[in-house]
Amino acid sequence: MPEAAGRPLPGAREALEVPGTVQEALPNALFRVELQAGKGASVVAHVAGDSSLLRLRPGDAVVVEIAPYDAGRGRIVRRR
Amino acid sequence: MSVQKSWRELQTMARACRIVVDTLDALEAAAVPGTTTMEMDRIARERIEKAGARPAFLGYRGYPATLCISINEEVVHGIPGPRRLREGDIVGLDLGCIVDGFFGDAARTVAVGHVSDEATRLMKVTREALFAGIDACHPGKRVGDIGHAVQSHAERHGYSVVREFVGHGIGTSLHEEPQVPNYGPPGRRERLVAGMCLAIEPMVNVGRAEVEVLGDGWTAVTRDRSLSAHFELSVAVTPLGPWILSEPYPYEQAEAANA
Repeated sequence: MPEAAGRPLPGAREALEVPGTVQEALPNALFRVELQAGKGASVVAHVAGDSSLLRLRPGDAVVVEIAPYDAGRGRIVRRR
Repeated sequence: MSVQKSWRELQTMARACRIVVDTLDALEAAAVPGTTTMEMDRIARERIEKAGARPAFLGYRGYPATLCISINEEVVHGIPGPRRLREGDIVGLDLGCIVDGFFGDAARTVAVGHVSDEATRLMKVTREALFAGIDACHPGKRVGDIGHAVQSHAERHGYSVVREFVGHGIGTSLHEEPQVPNYGPPGRRERLVAGMCLAIEPMVNVGRAEVEVLGDGWTAVTRDRSLSAHFELSVAVTPLGPWILSEPYPYEQAEAANA
């Protein structure tokens, strides 16, 4: 039975917010962020909204949102 | 729960899927001129319950029946009733069941008696599109690769794919993440990982892609009232590729050769 497209699913999993540290700035306003939790695990993250986040430097402490499916990608939501 | 299923959970899903497909076989045999769609629903419910499973659609978001039965220009979600099947109809049969808390979901479109060449071709192409999508189910590929495979195949034959309804993850619920559209660019959307289970279900129209839902709140029909077909299978992504859960696990020999 097909699902109606686009509607969020009941019990849909939210993106996960985790603390991390900026490792390096990549092209296109992307950053590699090392996660505090996993042993050296890192994600490639873009920044959310706030343009002050664009000036992140390696070593800055941030909070990243990780998509429930693609654990390799994230979104920097704020500094911490 | 996690979207990845254990080997043991996959075995349970496979049992549910086999019951669904066996029941579809029986329904296909019963799809002759004169049978009412209500009668088809009764057959479906009896077979599922006899197999020790529970109907998955009955009561789902208020759906009133065991079977979805969608005739000709009806795309999906047709509700069984007093309507009789007629020679020349093509009939979408969509069915799900629950075994030990796990869902199986499958659909196919069948011919009632002799049908037009166009109808035969539509069913063939839609079924092929489903298998093109299944072939994309390897770990490391993405959900968008499935949709792209389905869409390319259908459109190559001059047909259109429905956008308003999509396939879905399946497991301890009928609809889990991720959504699995039958269209879109390759390489996008969620990455496929071993243990994911997806219900892939192309809905393909002879005419335009747009659909509308009738006054009953369920039955979706093509807006231009052109013929539509629907095929669906539940598939597990395994390290070696797709496992159509209603069929035996296909990689036993390959694994033995590697061991």
